[in-house]
Amino acid sequence: MASDSSPANTHEGPSSPDDWATSPIGNTFSSPGDPRRPRRGRRSGYATPTPPPLPSDSRFATPDATPTPSASNSRRGRGRGRRLSSTPTAATPTSTDDAPPSSEAGDMDEDQSPPMYVWGTNISVQDVNAAILRFLRNFRENAQQIEGKYMRAINHVIEMEGDSLDVDAQDVFDYDSDLYTKMVRYPLEVLAIFDIVLMDMVSRINPLFEKHIQARIFNLKSSTSMRNLNPSDVEKMVSLKGMIIRCSSIIPEIREAVFRCLVCGYYSDPIVVDRGRINEPTICGKQECLSRNSMTLVHNRCRFADKQVVRLQEMPDDIPEGGTPHTVSLLMHDRLVDSGKPGDRVEVTGIYRAMSVRIGQTQRTVKSIFKTYIDCLHIKKTDKSRMHVEDLMETENRANWHDNESTPAYEDKVEQLKELSKQPDIYERLTKSLAPNIWELDDVKKGLLCQLFGGNALKLPSGASFRGDINILLVGDPGTSKSQLLQYIHKLSPRGIYTSGRGSSAVGLTAYVAKDPETGETVLESGALVLSDRGICCIDEFDKMSDNARSMLHEVMEQQTVSIAKAGIIASLNARTSVLACANPVGSRYNPRLSVIENIHLAPTLLSRFDLIYLILDKADEQTDRRLAKHIVALHFEDTDISQQDVIDLPTLTAYISYARKNIHPQLSDEAAEELTRGYVEMRRRGNFPGSGKKVITATPRQIESLIRLSEALARIRFSEVVEKGDVIEAFRLLEVAMQQSATDHSTGTIDMDLITTGVSASERMRRENLVSTTRSIIMEKMQLGGPSTRLLELLEEVKKQSPAAEIHLHDLRNALATLSTEGFVVVHGDSVKRV
Amino acid sequence: MVGLPYDCLANPLGAVRLTFEKAVASGSDPAALDGKDWGAAELFRQFLFDDGGLSQVPMLNPSTINWVQPNTLVRFRGMIQDMLGNEYYVGAYKDGDTWRTNKFADASTCPMDASSDMRIWERRLLYCVPVPGQSSWVEPSHEAMKSPYTNSVSPQREKRHREDDTNMIDIDMDSEHDLEDSPNSKKLKIGTEQNSSNLSMVPAIGRNSLPCLVKIYDSLESDLKLNDVFEFVGIFTFDPDVTVDRDDNDELIDSFCEDVSVHLPPTKVPRLHCVAHRKLVVDDFLSSPILEFNPCAVKELREAVLGHLTAVLGNDRVAAQYVLLHLLSRVHARIDSIAVGKLSLNLTCLNKESMSVFGNHLKVAMENLLPFTQHLPLTLDYLNTVSLAPKKDYSTNRLVSGFLQLAEGSHLTIDETPLQAGTLNSNGVENARVLKNLMQSQKVEYDFTYYKMEMAADVQLLVLSEGKSNLLPADLVLPFRPSSVGSTFGVDEEMLKAWRLYLATMKLLPHSIESHVQKVIEDDLVAARQADRSLGSEEFSRWLTMGRLMSVSFGETCLSVEHWQMVKELEGLRKERLLGNM
Repeated sequence: MASDSSPANTHEGPSSPDDWATSPIGNTFSSPGDPRRPRRGRRSGYATPTPPPLPSDSRFATPDATPTPSASNSRRGRGRGRRLSSTPTAATPTSTDDAPPSSEAGDMDEDQSPPMYVWGTNISVQDVNAAILRFLRNFRENAQQIEGKYMRAINHVIEMEGDSLDVDAQDVFDYDSDLYTKMVRYPLEVLAIFDIVLMDMVSRINPLFEKHIQARIFNLKSSTSMRNLNPSDVEKMVSLKGMIIRCSSIIPEIREAVFRCLVCGYYSDPIVVDRGRINEPTICGKQECLSRNSMTLVHNRCRFADKQVVRLQEMPDDIPEGGTPHTVSLLMHDRLVDSGKPGDRVEVTGIYRAMSVRIGQTQRTVKSIFKTYIDCLHIKKTDKSRMHVEDLMETENRANWHDNESTPAYEDKVEQLKELSKQPDIYERLTKSLAPNIWELDDVKKGLLCQLFGGNALKLPSGASFRGDINILLVGDPGTSKSQLLQYIHKLSPRGIYTSGRGSSAVGLTAYVAKDPETGETVLESGALVLSDRGICCIDEFDKMSDNARSMLHEVMEQQTVSIAKAGIIASLNARTSVLACANPVGSRYNPRLSVIENIHLAPTLLSRFDLIYLILDKADEQTDRRLAKHIVALHFEDTDISQQDVIDLPTLTAYISYARKNIHPQLSDEAAEELTRGYVEMRRRGNFPGSGKKVITATPRQIESLIRLSEALARIRFSEVVEKGDVIEAFRLLEVAMQQSATDHSTGTIDMDLITTGVSASERMRRENLVSTTRSIIMEKMQLGGPSTRLLELLEEVKKQSPAAEIHLHDLRNALATLSTEGFVVVHGDSVKRV
Repeated sequence: MVGLPYDCLANPLGAVRLTFEKAVASGSDPAALDGKDWGAAELFRQFLFDDGGLSQVPMLNPSTINWVQPNTLVRFRGMIQDMLGNEYYVGAYKDGDTWRTNKFADASTCPMDASSDMRIWERRLLYCVPVPGQSSWVEPSHEAMKSPYTNSVSPQREKRHREDDTNMIDIDMDSEHDLEDSPNSKKLKIGTEQNSSNLSMVPAIGRNSLPCLVKIYDSLESDLKLNDVFEFVGIFTFDPDVTVDRDDNDELIDSFCEDVSVHLPPTKVPRLHCVAHRKLVVDDFLSSPILEFNPCAVKELREAVLGHLTAVLGNDRVAAQYVLLHLLSRVHARIDSIAVGKLSLNLTCLNKESMSVFGNHLKVAMENLLPFTQHLPLTLDYLNTVSLAPKKDYSTNRLVSGFLQLAEGSHLTIDETPLQAGTLNSNGVENARVLKNLMQSQKVEYDFTYYKMEMAADVQLLVLSEGKSNLLPADLVLPFRPSSVGSTFGVDEEMLKAWRLYLATMKLLPHSIESHVQKVIEDDLVAARQADRSLGSEEFSRWLTMGRLMSVSFGETCLSVEHWQMVKELEGLRKERLLGNM
């Protein structure tokens, strides 16, 4: 059977037919029949209908390994006439019916030489040829460039002895949208021409260049979802995103076989694969010998090419509810073989193909079913899980962002986010949107928000580095929805890992050395902390963790690495992770008689590594209880519709956070720096309360770092490049609130339970503050400094008289007085109050 | 068969062809049709639902598969176990000058000519299995299922009939095909003989169940979801003759064709080309008509069911009340990660001895009352070896069904008493985690190797254990106090039918709350929390679920204070027991 490619080859360039060895056309032609179409068109300009079979080891023989009788039929039929030669592949004829681009008609008229058309269409081969040539020669990214982008690229490829040229489809579109359309609609034909043009150019630049350069198209304008592929996409160029789930072993495919006569040792000429078969010569080719059945295959003189079948599965995010992921097969050739491994998320550009299935190997009948696959042209790894957090240190991925940023949809989104960030109450809104189902705990949520946004990681030239990750510890009574918060953050955060302290061992958290059962090699297996690099590692039941495991966290939380020295492997792995841990106080419930530190009962070394330690204490409060009751009743009876208004939805929230982490890198303003210094000095002074017998949390240099991180995160929330004074003040407030420091009796280190403000709404807080000031003014008025003490009930009467509207109970008054007594304004002894 | 030009039941393909020809004749271009319906679906819809043809369509099950004719209409009830993606087929092709269609057919009826013009259309492939844990009463009895064929008693007539059938197809088809068709029916006989032995080889499917590969046309993707229970009406093909060439060792071919035909050979799994489908609710499995309940009758029924459960549970009426509420529970809303409405129950104080009595009684009772029940005795060995969650097998590209791939509304009894102390391996830990996750959030994580995908489930979970199960934290823990050996005897079928209907209907009742009751409840909750700080949202949530179920059990759609009080009393009794147990 004649190799149809040869006429095209000889026509297009003076290059030797051997150049076809790596012909990219072969790449695209895995199903026979169709690929011949363009050439057939070209042949119509020729007088000789059947060119002599030239030796060609083109890979287009590939398809024949998947024998489709229909293809052979069509080939046979072609000799007979045009009508019969139509291939059974349905899509191309359909597409020609659809819409032949109108502009092409005009082009054709101008064509002087006998026009050759892509079969079944009115696309002129010469036109496309010229368009590609123009594109390669003239495309420049900007006008200043002297040499075209692709001319440089071609030269580079020649220098590097490469075998492929990456062509950005976006460039093609920018330069010649008509060519782009043709390329996407008739990729087989246009790519064949593309390669011929390339070959021609290369041989002109360097006639000695042996290799064949293939065009690899990538970055199509629109990417199809695997689910939406349909029969009309067959034979079109498509771009898909997915995850590789399976790679076949590499299949060496014979291209060219050489036989040797066992009798006389004569070597046959290379025999080219024809329709997946090698016709073994039955008679020795040497005139003197002519022995029958004496030829044997000489393996090491044959030529083989690599081939691989890869299965691609839909991204988990694209799967609709109640569906299972779709998969599609990819056919990879040569260089693309092994370019991805299972588990990789990739974006693939290729040609969607359909192949009919034969019922049996020996039978000619074809089932009415088609198998589909994608002939892969280009593969690009993408690594975008959930929310992407790369920082500037990772320059490698920066190119990817630029890809994204160029799309209008992305710009729209960014615009929206920026608009959102300009709202004055964005901080409050984000807080409200974080775990909207867990009400109250606003300050805790604010802290978590800071953790999600993170501070700036800093690496000094001296090598010292400052982490930007904020670590948070939640300590609290059972039933205060700590775990739900953790789960929520885990879902929201990039590469969040959720573990429970009870079930994780030290090695499970960091990394361990394992022996491969098959090879016996020692391998490093990452633990939770390493896996959550650049994410948040959520550790539940931190207190139940073994001390040994907990001690592993020391390194992670400050140095952000995990070091391993085991079984001959000494390694330091990155673990740039924020830790969010939650624990119950000692003895399950918070004991107000013990100091905060005694209640938490963690090593101070570890404790100091947490930027924020929240005490979530459950305090009997009717209002919170009522809200809880209301909430739960609503949950059960107002079917699904209890969504709060004004809440930012999860995808937007995620996008907002990831955009901020990626693009906003706030710097401290002078004003903020001053405030920071002032506040820190004050904090230290407070910590050194004279006569404090028990352990009190004192301010350390670590805390000032925490404060910087927190204020940076707060600036990020506003999309502000400058940390302002307000951010610093809020950071101080967060730190203070976290430890209930306002409620801590510094002389004993214990918390006055009555002063806890957790779960108290802003209005309630206001009411209490009002009460304090009212009480203060009453005492100022009525009582003498150092004078006789007054009974509480009397005071209550006075207060009630002053503010008749408010309902004031005795315990409210006690609270107020307690506040005043911490100020050193009054002394309370049992039921009597004395001004001092 | 004289009056109609085609018989939808016996020769649906004829109907398809006829409508297609009509559509082509009336000017619609097959090329532009793109696989969309041209009127055949409407025809079948009319035949099945408007003209009541549905009841004549034979049900496909292991007992009927032996006599159901290929290329006739059958019904299949099953759960969508896996979705095998889309299949491209030659939808329409030109045979000479006329367009023909392959829609609703396996292979083309005439040898495909390479020169012919054709259009590729697509259809969805669903792998369906009988609903896991389907109770025996769900299967329609065989008398009800008599087909028009078996009505004709004598084998001779049946044979005759078959000939008729073949003849008729011959008439409808082009003359060249009759050779193809008549061997087909012979082949079927051979095929079904092999079938009985082959079926057991299909993995993860019980002996007497029949999987089916359903090919869906013209349907929205969102209509059919994994684990949904559907009734498919379609054209049955079962082609034991088509064999996959095993000599073909080309890896390339293998990897392309790895899906359907290799792992689900047509010899083992029948095909159904679906013309109509509908989602089934529990009502569809109850043969009796839907009764209009009046409050009084509901109360009586409730009392009867409660009495039955009390008897089953050895006179433990408190337990019976809880079990009743448990049986009525379903997930009616999902808010964030909370599945609202679930009520899993943990009966404690059961040991091996009492399990052998009550465990069995309970099992029988559940099977009698509910359409889909599963029983899972938990042992270390079992946990360590099996995979409870479904898992994607990438080498076959199939979702391997795990024990926990259950249809919506299934009941699962987990028996923890056989569980011994010992070590769980990583598989066991994973299984325990999956079970716990199902208990807490009514979600099952399907394992896709590179990631996990959470699928919402709605399974009633009953845990039987010696002490409080920490492995499987249930919403309710109740020490079981039988006072006599229960008995389940003396329940007649009619009663069971009524009870089934009661449970199925009440379960689906809508529910609401009035504002004054809401106020009462809120006050109650606040007071309770003030009194006992250990109460949290979990307890409140449970009480409200119980309140809802309590009033639903009386057939009421609005929570009343009275029922709320009953719940509180019940919870009081439970608390007493829990304290007494310590």
